[in-house]
Amino acid sequence: MSFKIENVSYKYSADTPQILKNINMEIREAEVTAIVGPSGCGKSTLVSILSGVIPTLMNKGELSGSFQAGEEVMISVVSQTPENQLFGYGVEDALAFGVENMGLASDEIHERVESVLDLLHIQHLRKRAVSTLSGGQRQAVCIASVLAMRPNLVIMDEPVSSLDPQGKHLIQSVLNQLRATGQTTVIVDNNLDWFSGIVDHVVGIDNGEVVFDGSRDEFFAKFDVQHQLGVIIPQEVEIYRELSKRIKGLQPFSTLDEAYDALHDRFEKPEAAAALDPSEEHAENVLEVTDLSKSFQDGFQALNHIDAGFEKGKIISILGQNGSGKTTLVKHLNGLYRPTEGRVAYQGAETSDKSVAEISRDIILVFQHPEHMLFEENVYQELTFCARAQGVPFSEEEALSVLEKYDLLKDKEELPVNLSMGKKHLLTILSVLFSSANVIILDEPTLGMDLHLRNQLEGIIKHLKDKGKTVILISHEIPLVFKLSDELLVLDHASKLEEGSVQQLADNEALFEKIHIDLPPVVRLSKKLGFKTLACDAERFADAIAAGIKNDGFTGGASNG
Amino acid sequence: MGDFLQYVELNSFLHRLDPRTKFVFFIIMSVLTSFVKSGVALLFLFLVFLAIWLIGRIGKYMLVLANKVKVLLLFIFLLWLVLGAFTINEGPTIYRAAFTIFSNHYVFSLDWFDFYKGAVYALRIFLMISAFYTVILTTNFSQIILGLQSWRVPYAVAFGVGLVFQIIPMIVQEFATIMEAQKSRGLEVDKCSAFAKMKNYVIISLPLLFRVLSKGHAISLAMHYYKLNFKVKRTSYKMIKATYSDALFASVTVIATVLTIILQINYYIQI
Repeated sequence: MSFKIENVSYKYSADTPQILKNINMEIREAEVTAIVGPSGCGKSTLVSILSGVIPTLMNKGELSGSFQAGEEVMISVVSQTPENQLFGYGVEDALAFGVENMGLASDEIHERVESVLDLLHIQHLRKRAVSTLSGGQRQAVCIASVLAMRPNLVIMDEPVSSLDPQGKHLIQSVLNQLRATGQTTVIVDNNLDWFSGIVDHVVGIDNGEVVFDGSRDEFFAKFDVQHQLGVIIPQEVEIYRELSKRIKGLQPFSTLDEAYDALHDRFEKPEAAAALDPSEEHAENVLEVTDLSKSFQDGFQALNHIDAGFEKGKIISILGQNGSGKTTLVKHLNGLYRPTEGRVAYQGAETSDKSVAEISRDIILVFQHPEHMLFEENVYQELTFCARAQGVPFSEEEALSVLEKYDLLKDKEELPVNLSMGKKHLLTILSVLFSSANVIILDEPTLGMDLHLRNQLEGIIKHLKDKGKTVILISHEIPLVFKLSDELLVLDHASKLEEGSVQQLADNEALFEKIHIDLPPVVRLSKKLGFKTLACDAERFADAIAAGIKNDGFTGGASNG
Repeated sequence: MGDFLQYVELNSFLHRLDPRTKFVFFIIMSVLTSFVKSGVALLFLFLVFLAIWLIGRIGKYMLVLANKVKVLLLFIFLLWLVLGAFTINEGPTIYRAAFTIFSNHYVFSLDWFDFYKGAVYALRIFLMISAFYTVILTTNFSQIILGLQSWRVPYAVAFGVGLVFQIIPMIVQEFATIMEAQKSRGLEVDKCSAFAKMKNYVIISLPLLFRVLSKGHAISLAMHYYKLNFKVKRTSYKMIKATYSDALFASVTVIATVLTIILQINYYIQI
């Protein structure tokens, strides 16, 4: 069945601003609808209305308009944190929880549990404890537990935001299965990249209003709307967007093969790109780990004889699946963990006799969940926390200008936990600007960020690099890693596989196959097109193509979007 | 923190028992250790517990528990030792002296019996805690809910109890992560005075409070998504059933209880 939302408006109380303004949209039967929009645009409020949380659980707001969902209609939600959603110790317990609540007969419950285990191909997980599952497996079980209730509509709220590439692949295949069965699904996520292959219909919301309602291909053609909504689009579409600014009459594409077909015979191959070869100068190591091993009390070997150097003024990304040892390694760098064997040295001196707070004056680690870090009473205090804790002088003027630059000045007296997830994250990262540390470690810094915030984050990272600081990045956003990084350190099952420049390692396809990480589309396309120096972001790729384009009268801006 | 205060996944005799059998064990042992004050009886009970832990392959986890509660046990032991030193007991004396404070006369008499008394109270407390911990280590929260439901405990109560045991490990983990995050951004909790350390722990409690509130909110939303309604009769996917092993374990519990009571009657020394 289809769901019609007509003239829906909402505000949380009489004296607060309107969050949703006259929303009209349709969720079509057996289609996958994406709801996109920047942080704070009203997406989550809309999910609360669709799922009945408003007004059943939250009934103090002012809701008007209509959303036709009768008593007999089942709508359920898969949240971004399955550990908060799954009730039950074992997988079977968790799958049966919702069905048990419906009061179905035992035979019916068994039949439904079996059917979702088969549907999502997760029979092998049925006897496992939920706590032992990987992030992707946990989310798959969460989706299965919701499907067991046979909902008319499933809403997924950023279901892969905290998953590694393998987890994302698992959820992609689960969604493909669902689509094949004709399940009506809504995915609320500003990152269209990972599910662009299955989405049929896109609804864009900005400032509480619907600003786009159309098919996926229509959305991909609207560059201005993508930019307004801060949507992260597939890199193939980003490449087309950048190229269409430079090349007139380019055939639109949204896949790698289409891009190859559109480009391969239209430019002079590698010579043009060679001029863009980035310098690979080596600087001194500011931080070094030597023969580093870590075994935990239960005997688990988390790191196995790691040797690595982190150069001054470079951006170094650590790549690997969850459990490969990335977080354990960085926790050794800032002294949270002490090695079982080996040493960590900052500017040649071992760090083992210093406390974590002492080490933070040189090496600072920003955690992936900002709520673990925020505790000051307002945004200004939070921004300057590191400086005050480390005794680094700063001026109020300087702090206020940072808040202004990153659009936080109006929130300066606000309690930090009240900010949107992306802004909270940005704030914890900005506080590092006032620290004395020369090495900054960012663990999944894009969590909860839309494209606008992500662009600001890129600016901060480049600014830190320009100031001669070393940035160590852990991120599952592989296109971003390739765009920003100078060096990569690849870990797998607690061991170092490779360390080197992005250019060197991108050539090693076997390496990325081994760690089950796909190279970004822009890298694969530049390989396919025979670039001597691989382009690592869409802009550089477009520059290389534009520089080598055959003189066939096609250069010049396109009129799209 | 590791596996402290949470179920441990093993396939042991204890793990396979019906949760109700383990609840009965916990109730009997809690009552028993509240009344028994004989050192011999408590020592016997400790040996029974030890055998159960070894057969249930949870010995190393009980050592972790002992390590965590050692300060508490030492405090209880010393408290009764000091209190006992101000009463004169029969039996061998280690040191005895009389003194006067503000015209009041006191006798300080440290006897071997004071050590016995301290040890008895510490052992009682340890057995009480470990009876509870034995059940927690070997019964997951889904089994706890099933067990309570089968005793006709209202589902809202059973679910609440189960939820507590589901959430405790999450909160323990959150606390550890927040502590790491704050240390990482420069909060000194290692090389500082005890007062500064306490102050910094208070600081850490604020993000923990926000995280717990946020988890509570997420869980209440999830209960809504899964249509949990305590007024509607639920059905169950799994059933629990007592087996021969349960009968055996219940028999051991009853025999141990009877023997403990006999030892208490025969070897009780007034304390």
